[in-house]
Amino acid sequence: MRLDLSVLLPHLGFLAQGAFLTAQACALALVGSVIMGAFVAIARTSSSARLQRTSLIYVDIFRNVPFIVQLFFFYYGLPEIGISIDAFTTGVIALSMAGGAYASDVIRAGILAIDQGIIEAAEVSGLSRRVIFTRIVLPIALRTSVRPLGSVLINMILTSSILSTITLNELTGSAQIVVSQTYRPFEVYVVLLVVYAILTYLVSLAIALLHRRLNRDMREAVA
Amino acid sequence: MRFTDFTPFDLVLLAQGLGVNVALFLVTSLLGLVIGIGWAIVRYYHVPVLSELVAFVSELLKNSPVLVQLFLVFFGLPGLLHIRVTPVMAAAITLSANTAAFTYVIAVSAIESIGRDQIEAARVFGLSRWQVLRHVVLPQAAAFAVGPLVALLVNQLQVTSLISVIGVVDLTKIGNILNMRTLKPFIVWTAVGLLYYLASKLVAWLGSRFEKRLRAHSAWRGL
Amino acid sequence: MIRVENVKKAFGHTTVLDGVDLTIEPGEVVSILGSSGSGKSTLIRCINGLEKLNGGRIMVDEFDVSKPKELAEARKRSGTVFQLFNLYPHMTVLGNITLAPVEVLRRPRSEAEAMARGLLESVGLGGRADAYPAQLSGGQRQRVGICRALAMQPRYLLLDEVTSALDPEMTGEVLTILARLARDGTTMLFVTHEVEFARQISDRIVFLDKGRLLVDLPTKAFFAADGGMGQPRVAQFLSKMRKD
Repeated sequence: MRLDLSVLLPHLGFLAQGAFLTAQACALALVGSVIMGAFVAIARTSSSARLQRTSLIYVDIFRNVPFIVQLFFFYYGLPEIGISIDAFTTGVIALSMAGGAYASDVIRAGILAIDQGIIEAAEVSGLSRRVIFTRIVLPIALRTSVRPLGSVLINMILTSSILSTITLNELTGSAQIVVSQTYRPFEVYVVLLVVYAILTYLVSLAIALLHRRLNRDMREAVA
Repeated sequence: MRFTDFTPFDLVLLAQGLGVNVALFLVTSLLGLVIGIGWAIVRYYHVPVLSELVAFVSELLKNSPVLVQLFLVFFGLPGLLHIRVTPVMAAAITLSANTAAFTYVIAVSAIESIGRDQIEAARVFGLSRWQVLRHVVLPQAAAFAVGPLVALLVNQLQVTSLISVIGVVDLTKIGNILNMRTLKPFIVWTAVGLLYYLASKLVAWLGSRFEKRLRAHSAWRGL
Repeated sequence: MIRVENVKKAFGHTTVLDGVDLTIEPGEVVSILGSSGSGKSTLIRCINGLEKLNGGRIMVDEFDVSKPKELAEARKRSGTVFQLFNLYPHMTVLGNITLAPVEVLRRPRSEAEAMARGLLESVGLGGRADAYPAQLSGGQRQRVGICRALAMQPRYLLLDEVTSALDPEMTGEVLTILARLARDGTTMLFVTHEVEFARQISDRIVFLDKGRLLVDLPTKAFFAADGGMGQPRVAQFLSKMRKD
């Protein structure tokens, strides 16, 4: 039983590139998820029964089908209908669609938690529904949703490892290549495990900070 | 009939694949639940070194990708411990540990939700810690934890799809095989997705029925 | 002019407004009194369109509040101040006051902000323009709420129990401002518990009981023994209020 972590040293740069790709994909997918989630949340809280049903079906499907199947569906299916995009973009799309389903739950809860009186005050001042949503409902809902959206992001970082199955050299994919070059799978994967854990820890710290900053003004001042 | 067409036998293949997922799901869920609850009990008793170890392992498993855990066990352990590990064994070990980690968190939270005063009262009456656990804490914690546990299990069923990456011939792997052969990704992946969806819904439904029975039989209705 | 014509409103099986008629002329200050559940707040919420009518009609100037396009116009002419303030928590005081003028009336931001600062000065909050609602006391928040309503330069000011959530000291500071607005000729419709205040500044007092308008008289006549006080329900209500 020999454990030798030094074999990884020459490959750190390569792994760092992989980590960077993971970060990029997740950052883009986060934006995609929040946008998707906001639209779906609005659909689920709208008065149109049709919109509510469609959005419920979307959320239901993306929460009850494994991500890898969703990913393969897009990766193998999209070229069939003439859309040829690279693995990175496909991965971001798949992550956004899946993340959007979870984000919509979070944002919807944030919307429903808004004090009705505030909406009424906005309505009686003559503000249009569009302005009420963009200037009042969404800003408040997103501020209160920061923590749970952070969980969605953390989940997304872990799920992004599955992108390695469509030949994307993000962190896990890069690690697999390093294993094939060093023949030290245990060392590589142990380090990989710890790196992901540290990454998610750092993200959760950042989320806590962001939550505090954004909600600073809305907290009751302590006399 | 061409090689690339679908045949009725493909349905059998799909069913077999799903069977592999379900079988592994059942075994690892049972193991994971037992181990996870065991870890929570270790923490309840504040066992000196084990409590911290258990918490640490759980955090590590929760905050790293399941795919990497699978790789670590399947590719890494054989080299390190000089043992043979089949894909199914690796899958069983990894998924059980992963389920245990999440079960631990849910169980700890459920146990801690029981008011301290109840436990103190029981102890003052002379009940041993084990008796308190068995008669006061567990019944209430169980009712509290069922909901989150069912959600966890539905998720873990999705996670079993990742065993295809280390070569287990499950539903996703069958999907890959059919996709390669028929080159009809939309049909193949929709069928695979549908089967996972139905299986997840079944687990969710059974879970909610169990929850209802549990609540009907116990006097504890929750706060 | 606000015209409330035979207005009926029910929530489920409960009738809250049962054929109410009321007219408010420009410049008038009218107070609505009545016990809880009499339908006072509902009436105001019907006038600003937060509740839909089950019967009757409400006209704000020439606009029928039951018609969506006309309601938008009606809302531009009336401002509402709420019992629970309902300020936008994520915006500064200045942001709260300028949002509607900029978005609805399409005023330039600098103009809206200048007016907002002027309004804040007049209520004694000149230095708090950049504060957030969470940092203000209840009385201060309500004063901001009044400024927010006034920033739209409404013809009619609707006030729904605006001091009920405030302690006596803060109530005083808000009532002072409202008294000044009344003296300056603002058309106001109050729903209030403050009987003494209503007596001092109102031109007319209206009494609602179980969804019906029992009394509608000029202030003096309302409190006269042969006028409003002649009605047993009114006398009963007023004596209860005096006891508190």
